[in-house]
Amino acid sequence: MAISVQALGRTYGSLAAVDALSFDVAPGEIVGLIGPNGAGKTTTLRMLAGILKPTSGRVTVAGFDLAQAPIEAKRRLAFMPDEPHLFEYLTVEEHLRLIARLYTVPDFEARARALIGELQLAGKERSLPGELSRGMRQKVVIACGLVRDASVLLFDEPLTGLDPMGIRLMRETIVRRARAGAAVLLSSHLLHLVEEVCSRVMIMDRGHKVADGSVHELAARADLAAAGSNLEQIFLRVTGHDTSADAPASR
Amino acid sequence: MIGATFYIMRCSAKNRVLRRLQRLREPRYLVGAIVGTAYLGFAIFGRMLGRASAARRGRQMPTALLPPAFAALGPAIGGFALMVLAVGTWLLPSATGLLSFSSAEKEILFTAPLTRRQLLLYRLIRSQWSVLFGAVIFAIAYPSATSGARIRGLATVWLALMACNLFMTGVTLTRARATIAGAARRLVLLPQSLTFLAFLVVAAGLLAAVRRAPIETARQAFDMFAAAVGSGAARVALFPFAALVRPLFAESLTAFIPQYAVAVLIYAVLVGWVLQLDAGLDVVSETTGDRIDTPRPFRKPTYRERAPAWTLALQGRPEGAFVWKAAQQTFRRVDRGLIIRLAVLLAWGMFVVTIIGRTRGIAQALAGFAAFAAVFATVMGPQIVRSDLRQDLANLDVLQTWPVRPAAVVRGEILWPAIVVTAVAWFLGVIALSMSASLFSRTGLQLRMAFGIAALILAPALVLSQCTIHNATALLFPGWIPADGQRPRGVDALGQRLILLGATWLVLIISLLPGAIAGGILWLAFRRFIGAWILIPSALVATLFVLVEVLMATEALGPAYESLDISSVERIE
Repeated sequence: MAISVQALGRTYGSLAAVDALSFDVAPGEIVGLIGPNGAGKTTTLRMLAGILKPTSGRVTVAGFDLAQAPIEAKRRLAFMPDEPHLFEYLTVEEHLRLIARLYTVPDFEARARALIGELQLAGKERSLPGELSRGMRQKVVIACGLVRDASVLLFDEPLTGLDPMGIRLMRETIVRRARAGAAVLLSSHLLHLVEEVCSRVMIMDRGHKVADGSVHELAARADLAAAGSNLEQIFLRVTGHDTSADAPASR
Repeated sequence: MIGATFYIMRCSAKNRVLRRLQRLREPRYLVGAIVGTAYLGFAIFGRMLGRASAARRGRQMPTALLPPAFAALGPAIGGFALMVLAVGTWLLPSATGLLSFSSAEKEILFTAPLTRRQLLLYRLIRSQWSVLFGAVIFAIAYPSATSGARIRGLATVWLALMACNLFMTGVTLTRARATIAGAARRLVLLPQSLTFLAFLVVAAGLLAAVRRAPIETARQAFDMFAAAVGSGAARVALFPFAALVRPLFAESLTAFIPQYAVAVLIYAVLVGWVLQLDAGLDVVSETTGDRIDTPRPFRKPTYRERAPAWTLALQGRPEGAFVWKAAQQTFRRVDRGLIIRLAVLLAWGMFVVTIIGRTRGIAQALAGFAAFAAVFATVMGPQIVRSDLRQDLANLDVLQTWPVRPAAVVRGEILWPAIVVTAVAWFLGVIALSMSASLFSRTGLQLRMAFGIAALILAPALVLSQCTIHNATALLFPGWIPADGQRPRGVDALGQRLILLGATWLVLIISLLPGAIAGGILWLAFRRFIGAWILIPSALVATLFVLVEVLMATEALGPAYESLDISSVERIE
């Protein structure tokens, strides 16, 4: 498995943001992580990226334990957060160069050139982040993640701030990387995107995994049958927010 | 609008006080508040009690900071300093807090049915608070024998600071207005011409005085200055500037009142000037973009696009990447304005060293200043240059995703500020050393050279160990280190800073002990054989000890970096 998560947990004081979460993501698979605000999606992704320390559980990335062999695990991992966080004093090209140095990227020049073209950043190579729009900054973060051949890609709301062309481009990029063998875990509130690109969907609520499977598998589940094959209905039903007449009174 | 302004000020103050009281529930703020209060109490009452006790014992306390000859010239010197500042502001305008509208102010007030003049008035009233705080600090530190003089000092400094603030605002607005004023451009720029004219008149008077008689001592310099600006056109040109600071030197209330009235009048003229420039506010607002959005204490630094200092090689140790990253940050932050401000600061430092040190000749003044500045850079530089983990804590969620050994991250972060501070200290130290004969004419060349070279060898060790301690603090107590561009305020924050400073010095002394002992043993053993030159190998041994300690410390800090939780990093209130 490219990503293997076992009994992962993270608490803030008495609040369990993520509790006993287990799942796997195989190479080439795109898994959508959805859930209401505060469900623990971002906390999960940040634990997988090595930013937050889990309070319990174990994460392996491409066979490397994130706690035991963090350098090897991180070398195979690319995290693209929802908020584009860049160094205000480095240009676009310098961001890519810095990443290339830290991750030892072979053939950097050609890769960077291709990526800048692919993400429509041409002409912005020497711009500082302060001169870029939010969407452009988001593209730079994505470029930093993709400039190396990461076998695991973590996206947190990857389409935030992108224009329609950027959204389409991003969708295609994600699918292309997965076809090339990368395991993709994608968190988004855009259910149509998740439905369109993800081979599997994982629904979280209040720190727990409440559903896991393809949209068809979820739709076939006995307790969700009434929701039909629509991911939005499934999501609302699973998280107890379905207000339709045939919805159960409570979860 | 004035009523609304006071309402906003009242609510802000109330909420701020409540917030600060609430955060005292956290031990780190409570401890900080206790220490901060004790410090302020000591600073205010300790000084007063000390003076009262001295008076009871019949001891005469100094009533002024400056020697009488200098104090008599105070208004002229202060006025001349303000004049230079005014000219500098026209030549190189810098942002002023008075035009710093927060996002909320911009979105709510700019769209409200208010005139630009009302908005300016609003900012003018609001900015009084922060200026008043600065003036209170000055009044506390003001070396005065009576509380009356202290209050007079407070009132004068408050007015002078507000006048400076207003002047900078006026300059910014004038320049903005000039772009839209059309035919009235000349009229708008009239204050600029007047300022330059006044400066030229005073400068011409000073130059003529310098040519008339050679200056060899500080006393002669004072006399020349007094003669040059104390009469004729120069006196008239300097009058509005000198009038703003004159009340500070008044010896009694009777003398103070009329002088203060004149200063208030000048301030009122400045207010009128700024308010009639209201049309420039929109231009400033549009052109400054984000800068105007962020209140000064929370403003993030701005960087200029500039060719990289060097191109980062794609292969090599990760520490090199961190050094390169921090170097870009430094070089893109430093601009012409910063260099000029630094030059002014250096010139001022030289002036102070010349006056206080009673130096004779430029070589002695330069050597004295360079020696002082080298020591200052070595001791205070690591606190000032913070382009390491102290700033990068804000980027922790990026750094922690990188596949780099934690110890390498710590080392990489520490290296650049250590290099910068050491380079500055070495540069100044070499100047001081090369001119040391003028400063220590009775000391032999051998001792001077040996001591100087030993000091230069020790400088990087001192700097590196301080940088390591500061970064260790950032890693071990991240909640005490404000994130990039943030500066928490309040007595508790002041106390936190004092505790950190004390702890840093304590740890520094402890960390230097082994090296100092080893160097000391070497010095004792070989002093008789090679004389003062033994200082050099002693310094080398001490430096080596510190370097090994730093290396060990960075390795030991690795786990702390690895387990550092971004949620524990300080966020501004």
